[in-house]
Amino acid sequence: MTSDRVYVVVVDGCRPEEIGSGMMPRLQAQRRRGTNYPRARSLPVMETIPNHVMMMTGVRPDRSGVPANSIYDRQERDFRELDRPGDLHFPTIIERLNRRGLTTGTVLSKEYLFGIFGTRATHRWEPEPVIPVSGHAPDQFTMDATLDMIEEFDPHLVFVNLGDCDRAAHSDLSGTTLQAARRAALTSADTQVGRLVDKLDSTGRWARSMLVVLADHSMDWSLPDRQITLQPAMNADPLLAGGTVKIAQNGGADLLYWTGPATQRGAAVSRMRAIALDTEGVLSVHAPGELDLGPRAGDLVVFCRSGWRFSDPSPGSNPIPGNHAHPATAPIPFFLTGGHPRVRRGVSSSRTVSTVDVAPTVGSLFGLGPPRGGYDGRPLL
Amino acid sequence: MPGTPTTTPLELDRRSLLAAGAAGTGAIALGLTSAEPAHATANPFFRHGVASGDPHPDSVVLWTRVTPTDVATPGSGLGSSAEVRWEVARDTGFRNVVSRGRVVTGPRRDHTVKVEADGLRPSTSYYYRFVHRGVTSRTGRTKTAPGPHDCPRGLRFGVVSCSNLQAGWFSPYRHLAKRSDLDAVLHLGDYLYEYEPGHYGYGSDNEDIRSHVPAKEMVALADYRQRHAQYKQDRDLQDLHAKVPFIVTWDDHENTNDAWRDGAENHQPDEGDYQARRASAYRAYDEWMPVRMGGSADLDDRTLYRSLKFGSLAEILMLDLRTYRSEQVSQPAPPAPPPDEEISDPSRTITGNGQMRWLKGSLRADRTQWKLVGNPVMVAPVVFPPFPNDVTSAVNDVTGLLPDDGLPYNVDQWDGYTADRRELLDHLADYGIRDTVFLTGDIHSAWACDLPLDAGTYPAEIGRAVATELVCTSVTSNNLDDLTNSPPRTSSLAVEAAIQANNRHVKYLNFDDHGYSVLDVTSKRTQMDYYVISDRRARNASSEWTASWATEANSQAIHPVDRPVDR
Repeated sequence: MTSDRVYVVVVDGCRPEEIGSGMMPRLQAQRRRGTNYPRARSLPVMETIPNHVMMMTGVRPDRSGVPANSIYDRQERDFRELDRPGDLHFPTIIERLNRRGLTTGTVLSKEYLFGIFGTRATHRWEPEPVIPVSGHAPDQFTMDATLDMIEEFDPHLVFVNLGDCDRAAHSDLSGTTLQAARRAALTSADTQVGRLVDKLDSTGRWARSMLVVLADHSMDWSLPDRQITLQPAMNADPLLAGGTVKIAQNGGADLLYWTGPATQRGAAVSRMRAIALDTEGVLSVHAPGELDLGPRAGDLVVFCRSGWRFSDPSPGSNPIPGNHAHPATAPIPFFLTGGHPRVRRGVSSSRTVSTVDVAPTVGSLFGLGPPRGGYDGRPLL
Repeated sequence: MPGTPTTTPLELDRRSLLAAGAAGTGAIALGLTSAEPAHATANPFFRHGVASGDPHPDSVVLWTRVTPTDVATPGSGLGSSAEVRWEVARDTGFRNVVSRGRVVTGPRRDHTVKVEADGLRPSTSYYYRFVHRGVTSRTGRTKTAPGPHDCPRGLRFGVVSCSNLQAGWFSPYRHLAKRSDLDAVLHLGDYLYEYEPGHYGYGSDNEDIRSHVPAKEMVALADYRQRHAQYKQDRDLQDLHAKVPFIVTWDDHENTNDAWRDGAENHQPDEGDYQARRASAYRAYDEWMPVRMGGSADLDDRTLYRSLKFGSLAEILMLDLRTYRSEQVSQPAPPAPPPDEEISDPSRTITGNGQMRWLKGSLRADRTQWKLVGNPVMVAPVVFPPFPNDVTSAVNDVTGLLPDDGLPYNVDQWDGYTADRRELLDHLADYGIRDTVFLTGDIHSAWACDLPLDAGTYPAEIGRAVATELVCTSVTSNNLDDLTNSPPRTSSLAVEAAIQANNRHVKYLNFDDHGYSVLDVTSKRTQMDYYVISDRRARNASSEWTASWATEANSQAIHPVDRPVDR
């Protein structure tokens, strides 16, 4: 059995420049030591669940079935989060490694991530204690669980989500303490990753370990007067009246679903597009196919501009200033480090990389071939 | 130095004569690695040197001008047509020729030769030369760009602007030509000046260190051609052209001062139709510069803005900020600033709609890590604080403000077209476009700035920087101490400090020195080294490093660096 180990650590919602800000010295040192990818980007929709799924599958949402955090479920006729194990249709690297006889672990700080990855990993930690407003466990507890899992089970692959940075941005409703909370979260995340590095070093694992450190998306902040509510404008249109347009709000992206007669879909989607494009703060409108999102993303995906957010169906629906899912939040930190001989030292690469490259990279290190139909990402090793 | 002899088109020097002897045998000594390369200015047919430009992975533009007979002087329209052969080789002895061709030139194109040598390999140095009636030009060296999917470890460019022949000697070019580590030279505009002798020379007295040819302001096509020919006979410029490919754009003086779409400050009704004058300026520029206008070496398209890609590491987007811009706003009586509603009027443009669409699309395409924007006039906002009147006058003169009225904005740069700037910077923010660096000339001074979304709230999140700007100083054109008659780094220091205090995003400012810069690009960071020359009066001025500023990948922020890159 191989002594190689891979730790994929997601600093949720971290901006790439924050690692060099002086608040994250441990991460900055590891980024310098390993291979950095300054052009790394999150992929649409730049939300937590789809990008974690892309990391572990290596395929885009049109193949995994997970395009966003929140969708309108046409079968259930309701809005819901994609947090069920059955929502993920594509085999993850976790299951594929398990089938090879290797062991895996997931230590995911957010309840919905714990939900969608379900029982796939050999060893799983259910986040606790969970902060009621944010639905996540603080980083210290998450890292405690990670280190315990390594100590007790030593899985070949451990997938960790540290949620504090993201949640500090989302949970601050007043805006007045936003920067202080963010700084504290960044510092804390840095400390926790440092604990992991120290653990691997002190237990002799470092030489055979590769750490993949990245974010699932970046972060943007909106002002109170810069929010977009599309639902009233849709309802006010004669063709779209009667609640036939459902909007799944994902912060920086709205997913629009036509639920009226199929015969009117073409005309209705045209109207929906025109109304969205005519709304201040809207950046762009896309058919889901343009973004490789698949049918669950509805009929249209609407992105907001930097500094704006969506609040649907009503202006009070989204009071959170910290925001992502739109192109402004695509840049992410992404680097490989560790003592494994396949990790290149002190390198910065100008190639394009994204969250979908994680699974191929992990698979490459363990000698695992691509899944049926191939990856959408590429191995970085 | 009054009475300094001027450089005439046929001036010879000892080294030129030596080189001509070699040329006669068809075996000119290249000398490219020596400190004092050979010259071919006395070559009977190739009196204006050789040049290359706009490198692609598989091709490069090669340029020369042939003088087949003595009557075929630049701008004369005289002389017969002439066939010129060109060849490109991997070696200086031309034993391994990889590309060659023949071209016929003549008086209709002022006997210039501009060809696209293709079939070349990426990231490769080549040597090239021209042959007419058995006589060979000096040998030039050029280098192709990396392949489209290559990840080069680094790129290095010389960066220059504002080379006014009457204001001094082009020592910055000589010092750049001594280097062997450059992939190309970026000339960001004001490659030559339109003025007549005695106008806009050295210092506040407008002394001519050298005098322009022809001895009048260039207005007609023949004037522009002769002026280009004069500049192309400068030995320092010839050496630099022969050493590395150039990537150029124009600012206003290649045509005339403060040009805009339908006019210019320095174009008067008695000088004829402005559009005809501009067409002459552009025609001569296309003939005499190693540039792909309209995407090719042909002379049938005057579109100058273009992209040059260097693997996955960097794309250079060269802008044309003169051809399509709206007129500068008029200056009100002091002390009133220009009306905000005019400078921010969205119907006014500095880029033109087509170029703005192209620029935004190119940036959004994110084809490379670094997006280097060759930007003829400064884009960072600059608010000028109140100064004493005499200082205000000099500051205005350097930075392009025309009247001595202490205006808070330079309305000839992006500050006078804030709607376009807002559109561009918002675009960077909206699409999460990182690692955009504006490389700028024009204002005869060296700057390094963060480029904020909103200078008023910078560096808070709402006003955060979304790019950076590095401004090179002038090769020779006057700057602040030249106009205040102060010793360098004395009276200007207070001015610089006051400007920085009022513009927190401006991190570095040097109003006094002339020189050049070297831009080093790696995936980790982009760094600008600022070099200054000792004295632009001196034919053999020395050069020394004075400052370095860098922006780390993904940071959108500049910081000082304590030493220049190793050569």
